[in-house]
Amino acid sequence: MRSQFVWSSPSLRLTAAFPGVLRGGELTGVAGTHRHGVYPYSRDQREDVPVHPEEAARLARAAAAGDSVAWNGLVEGFSGLVWSVARAYRLSSADAADVFQTAWLRLAEHIGRIEKPEHIGAWLATTARREALRVARGSSRVIPTDDTALFDLGHADEASPEQAVLDSEQAAIDHERTKRLWRAFGQLSARCQELLRVLIATPPPNYAEVAAALDMPVGSVGPTRARCLQKLRRLTGEVSETV
Amino acid sequence: MTRSLWISGPRGSRAICLEADVQDERDDTELEEGLRRLAARLDPVPTRLLHAAAESFTWRTIDADLAELVFDSLVDQDEAALVRGPEQVRLLSFETGDLAIEVEITGTESARSLIGQLVPPGRAAVEIRQGDDVVAADADELGRFSAGPLRAGPVSLRCSTRPERRRVVTDWVTI
Repeated sequence: MRSQFVWSSPSLRLTAAFPGVLRGGELTGVAGTHRHGVYPYSRDQREDVPVHPEEAARLARAAAAGDSVAWNGLVEGFSGLVWSVARAYRLSSADAADVFQTAWLRLAEHIGRIEKPEHIGAWLATTARREALRVARGSSRVIPTDDTALFDLGHADEASPEQAVLDSEQAAIDHERTKRLWRAFGQLSARCQELLRVLIATPPPNYAEVAAALDMPVGSVGPTRARCLQKLRRLTGEVSETV
Repeated sequence: MTRSLWISGPRGSRAICLEADVQDERDDTELEEGLRRLAARLDPVPTRLLHAAAESFTWRTIDADLAELVFDSLVDQDEAALVRGPEQVRLLSFETGDLAIEVEITGTESARSLIGQLVPPGRAAVEIRQGDDVVAADADELGRFSAGPLRAGPVSLRCSTRPERRRVVTDWVTI
């Protein structure tokens, strides 16, 4: 990792101007840190760092040549995006899991054939979107749109979210705010929920990846994001209606 | 107080923003980060799936032609033409060069059945892959093969034609 990578995401661009906005105020501190080959997958602050296109291309080429460490770097960098895409299309846990696995299996077979490896995130997002639409059409397991559909509240293999909330000191303090944000998110239009669910993947996707995930023009991602966040802010009552 | 803020863009490009814009962007960024933390806490990628994604790499087939998915009745057929009912039939076509693999999927979520046809027809050793499970289903001289019950989830076929021993692997697809 080189330090300029932290500038690659629009949402991280303000880190230097507003330290503390991100958990990784230390994000710039990971420059030069080895972040690949972490297997089994390890969760630490480095997972927040987006993969720069040049880095993605390097990882893709290395993986195509048989480097499993590079492959794991891709898994670390883009799993959050792939999962978010499946969730944005309101798939159940089981269906989202199938879409996620299919996207990665398909990438494994295509890895040496991808024309623009620097856009591998967008390739994965597109693949996940198409697979999600197939599954949504074919499955009887699709759950209807409601305020919880974009987040799963019932992972069998994860701690319950309620417990996760209680476990976190930060969450205990923010509990009320979290609930309000949660409710407000569910009141947004379907389009806003889809866009935001993809945007808030960890690490943050770039706009090209978000556009690929939702089949929308790259140029409309920024304005739509601003509009949706403003709506959300209104719904949470943090700004007056006149703003 | 009126002030401006210089913000570094990618590759050192610079843009000047008015204070109001900076404030808006800061609010948006804070809100987005709040949502990101919420999603990371309430709906993280399940750990078993991260392991599965890492493992996908070991299942790739290097010495075979890739037959890509070119038709799927679920998305490539008019809604009206779809057969609806408990016994939905899904048709999939995979192609590579002059070889096509046509597949028909029927059955319920817990027990899918698969009927396949190689075009042009001919004998082949066929393997149906579902994660670690591999089911053999050899194609007869007319290129027909079948398998089941299969579980719902990602599936891929691997064929080796007889006697040419041409190896073909299909795209993974969720059935």
